Amino acid sequence: MTSADHATAGRAAAERPLTRRRRRNLLPYLLSLPALLVTVWIIIPFVTAIYYSLLRYRLSLPQLRGFVWFDNYLNFLTDGRFWYTVEVSLLYTVLTVVIELVLGLGIALLLQRPSRFNNLAAMLLLLPLMVAPALASLMWKLMTNPNFGILSYLVGLVGVTNFRWASDPSSALFTVVLVDVWVYTPFIMVLLLAGLRSLPKQPFEAAALDGVPRTFVFFRITLPMLMPYILTASLFRMLESIQQFDIVYAMTQGGPGNTLTVFQVEAYLQFFQFTNVGRSAALLMVLWAITFALSNVFVKNWLRLRERAHGAAA
Amino acid sequence: MASLALDHVTKRYGRETVLDDVSLSVADGEIVSIFGPSGAGKTVLLRLIAGMAEPEEGAILVDGSDVIDVAPEQRSVGMAFQNFALFPHMSAFDNIASPLVARRLGRDGIEDGVQKIARLLKIDHVLGHAPRALSNGQKQRTALARALVAAPKILLLDDPLRNVDAKLRFEMRLELPRLLERFGSTVLYVTQDYREAMALGRRIAVLVHGRIAQFGTPDEIYDRPANVEVAELFGDPGINLFEGHVEAGRSGMVAAVGGMRLPLAPGFERIAGRSVTIGVRPEHVGFAAAGTEGAVAARVAALLPLNDRMVRLLVTEDGRELYTSREAGGAAMEEGARGHVVADPAAIVVFDRETGRRIAPRSAGFASPALQENP
Amino acid sequence: MHHTSTGERILRGVLISLALIFFLFPIFWILLMSFQTNAQILRIPPSIVFTPTLDNYVSLITGELKTASGVLKLAFMQNLLNSLILSVASVALSLVLAVPAAYAFARYKFRFSEDIAFTLLSFKFAPPLLVLLPLTIYFQQIGLANTYVGLIWVYQLITLPLILWIVRGYFEDISPDIEHAYRIAGHSWLRSFLKISVPLAMPGIAAAALLSFIFAWNNFVFALVLASADKQPVTVGALAFVTASGIQYGQIAAAVVISIAPTLALALFAQRYLVEGLSLGAVKG
Repeated sequence: MTSADHATAGRAAAERPLTRRRRRNLLPYLLSLPALLVTVWIIIPFVTAIYYSLLRYRLSLPQLRGFVWFDNYLNFLTDGRFWYTVEVSLLYTVLTVVIELVLGLGIALLLQRPSRFNNLAAMLLLLPLMVAPALASLMWKLMTNPNFGILSYLVGLVGVTNFRWASDPSSALFTVVLVDVWVYTPFIMVLLLAGLRSLPKQPFEAAALDGVPRTFVFFRITLPMLMPYILTASLFRMLESIQQFDIVYAMTQGGPGNTLTVFQVEAYLQFFQFTNVGRSAALLMVLWAITFALSNVFVKNWLRLRERAHGAAA
Repeated sequence: MASLALDHVTKRYGRETVLDDVSLSVADGEIVSIFGPSGAGKTVLLRLIAGMAEPEEGAILVDGSDVIDVAPEQRSVGMAFQNFALFPHMSAFDNIASPLVARRLGRDGIEDGVQKIARLLKIDHVLGHAPRALSNGQKQRTALARALVAAPKILLLDDPLRNVDAKLRFEMRLELPRLLERFGSTVLYVTQDYREAMALGRRIAVLVHGRIAQFGTPDEIYDRPANVEVAELFGDPGINLFEGHVEAGRSGMVAAVGGMRLPLAPGFERIAGRSVTIGVRPEHVGFAAAGTEGAVAARVAALLPLNDRMVRLLVTEDGRELYTSREAGGAAMEEGARGHVVADPAAIVVFDRETGRRIAPRSAGFASPALQENP
Repeated sequence: MHHTSTGERILRGVLISLALIFFLFPIFWILLMSFQTNAQILRIPPSIVFTPTLDNYVSLITGELKTASGVLKLAFMQNLLNSLILSVASVALSLVLAVPAAYAFARYKFRFSEDIAFTLLSFKFAPPLLVLLPLTIYFQQIGLANTYVGLIWVYQLITLPLILWIVRGYFEDISPDIEHAYRIAGHSWLRSFLKISVPLAMPGIAAAALLSFIFAWNNFVFALVLASADKQPVTVGALAFVTASGIQYGQIAAAVVISIAPTLALALFAQRYLVEGLSLGAVKG
C-alpha cells in the first residue's frame, strides 16, 4: 500500500464517524419512539393530579377553587376518615398477602412433584386468576346472597343463621378478603410452584441420604432457597393489594357504611360522590408514594430473579 | 471476486481493544487463513468485514473503496458461522436459497442454484429438512452452501470445521480447498487449528492479542516464525525452545545451551554473545548413536506414536527435555536407548531473548528476500 | 425425595381436593345457576339436580327479558361486543407499537434505553385512578370521553408494557448471528426483522398477546371511570346489569359465565406461557 493510499484512508476514517454513527444509532430510537409516544402522555394527568392535590377544588363549588399548597395533606393528619382509609387498606393488604402466601406456598408444596395429576390440578387451580376480579365479586355476591346464596345456606347448616357477609360491617372485610384470596392465591401458587421446581436437586438428595428430618429440610433448605421467589411474589401482591379497587368496589362500593373505604375506593368516592377533587388527588398521591417505594424494592428483586432465570436457561 | 484490504483497523468494546491497528491486504481470489488462539480477535475481524460491527478507526477497502458505510446486505459477502447460524424456522433449502432470494432470482434460478451447490456439497437429499433434523455435518454443509451459493465476492469462513466430528473435519479439510478454488472468491478462513490454517491458506495471518503477529506463506511462518509466540503456535509436538547464547565455535557460530553446543547456519557472527532463545522443530532434531563434536548425550525417556509419526522425548545429560519427531517405521529406538542429539543448523531459529523476535542470519553477498525480517 | 407413606398420600390427596373444591366450586356453581330458572335458584335447600333451561342465555342473546311486568331491554350483547372491540383493538395496537420497541430494547444498548423501559414498566404499578381521574376532565374537553379511541388509548397502559417486557425477553434469546446471517445473505434490516426476528419470537409474541388480551378483558376501573353505558365492557356492564334486572339471578349468572368463558378458555390454551408472562419472565416456566 502506498503512502497516498494511507492518506486517503486516514482522511476517510476521520470524516466517517459523524455520518455513520448518526444513521445507525437512530434506529433503536425510531423503533421505541411510537410505543413511548402512545404512553408518555400519562405524565400529563399525573402532573395534573399533583397540581389538583394542592388545590381546594370541588366540582360542585367551582367558585371556591384556589391554591392551598399542602392544606389537603395537612388536613389528613387530623382527619379520622383518612386514617381509617390507611388502617383498612393496610389491614386488607396484610390479611390478603399473608393468607395468600400461606395458602399459595402450601398448595405449591403439595403439587411440587411434576406428576400428571399435579400438573392438571395446578392448571385448574389457575382458573380463578383468569376471572376478572370485578366478575369474581359478582359471583361471590350471588353465592352469598342471604335469600338463596349457597354459602349463606351452608353456614346456616352449621348454625350460623343470618350471616350477612359483605352487607354487614362486621363481616364485610372478611368477605372481600375471601374473594381476593380466591382470585389471587393462584398467582402466588403458580409462581412458587415454578420456583420450587427450578430449585437444584442436589441439596435435597443429600439431605435425604443423610436422613435429615423433613421439617429441618423445609426450614433450612427449601424456604431459604425459595425466598427470592416468595419475596418477589409477595411484593407484587402487596403492590396490587394496597391499590385494590375492583373487588371492593364491585362487592360493596366502599360500604356498608364506609367500612371498606380503602385508598382507591375512597379516592373514587371523594371524586365522584363528594366531588372533592383536591382531596381525592391528595389521597392518590399518598397511595402513589407508598406504591412507588414498594415498586422500587420489587423491581430490584424482580430483576435479580429475572437475571437468574435467564442465566440458568442460557 | 475482489481484493480486500484492512487499513489500520482498530476495534474496541468498551475499554477493551479487541483489534489493534490491524492492516492486511488480500489479493483478488486469494485464500488467506486467519489463525490465532481463541480470544485473539479473529471472529471480530470477520464481523467488521461483513458489516456486523464497525471499527473505531481505520478503513476496510474492497477493490480499493472503503465499505464501512455500506450496509451488510450490500457488501456481497458470504459468511459461514462457527455455530452455523442456520435459520431454525426454514428448511435447508430455504436457508441456502436466502441469498438468491435477496438477489431476486426467479423461482427457476433459485431452484437451480440451490440444487447445484447442494449436489456439490452432497446435501441434496436433505434439502427439505428443518435445521434441527440435520446432523452436525449436514448443518455445517448447509451453512457452507448458504455462504457459497451466490458466489460472493468475499467469502468469510469462521472456523467452519470447529463443531464437526474428527472424521468429517478430515474429509472437509481435503475437500474445501478444491471447492473454494472452484468458486474463485477471495476467502478469509478463520481457524484455531494450525494444520487447517496451513492446509487451506495460501497465506496465513497470525493474530495474537488483536495484532497481526505475522502474515506470510505457511512455509515462511513455520520455518521462520516472526517471534517465539508464533513459533509455539505451530507444530505438534511444539517447537523445542532453549535459552542460551550465541558464541563462536570451532567451525562457525554455535548456540550454547548449557553444555550443549548447537552449530548455527552462517550469518550470526554479528550477534556473538547475545542472549537468545533457540528454537528447533522436533522433525529437525536427530538422535545419533555416535556423537559429533559438541553434541550432547541424551537418552530416550519416552516414545509416543502420533498419527504417522513417532515422537521421542529425549532427556539430555544436564536434564533438558526435547522432542524429536520422525516418520514411523524407521530405525526403532527403544525407551532408555542412549545417543547424541544433533540438529540441522539450517533449521535452527534464533530469537532475541528480550523481545522474542526472530533474528535472521545475515548472508554475506546474496540476500534472500525470504530471509528478511518481518517489519 | 423422601418416600411417602400411605397415610401421607391420603392426606395430600385430601388437601389437594379441598383446594380444588375451594377454587373451582364458585365457577361450577355459577355455571349451574346459569341453567336454572329463578324458581329453581330460590329453592331451599339448593339442589344440583334440576331440569336445565337455556332461557337465561336466550334472553341475554335476544336482549329481551320477559318479566311479569313486561319486557325488559338488556344491553348485555353490546357490553360483550364492547369488551371484544376494546380488548382486540388494544392488543393489536400494542403489538404494532411494542414489538419493535421490545426489539430495540433487546438488541441495542442506547442512551436512556433502560430508563425508558423501566418508565414503561412503572405504569403497571401506579394507582390507575391517579391518572384516570384527571383524565376524565381532559377527555371531556378534547372529546375523547366515552369513545372507543379514547378507551383503547388508555388501555395501552395495561397491554403495552406487558407485551414489551415479555417479548423483549424472547428477542434476547435469539442469537444475533442468525439475524446477521440473514442480512449478510443480502436482506435489509426490515426484512430480517420481519422474516427472522419476529417469526422466531412468535411464541413469546403470541403468549404476550393472549395474556394482555386477558388483562384488557378483565379490566374494570378504566371503563368504569371513562365509559358510559353504551361503551362499557362486560366487567362494568354486568355490575350495572345487577341493578337493572332486579332479581333475575339466572340471567346474571349466565352473563357472568359468558363473560369469563373467553379468558378461561384462553388461559387453558396459553397455560404454558402463563407463568412466564405473569411474572414478566422472572421465573422460567
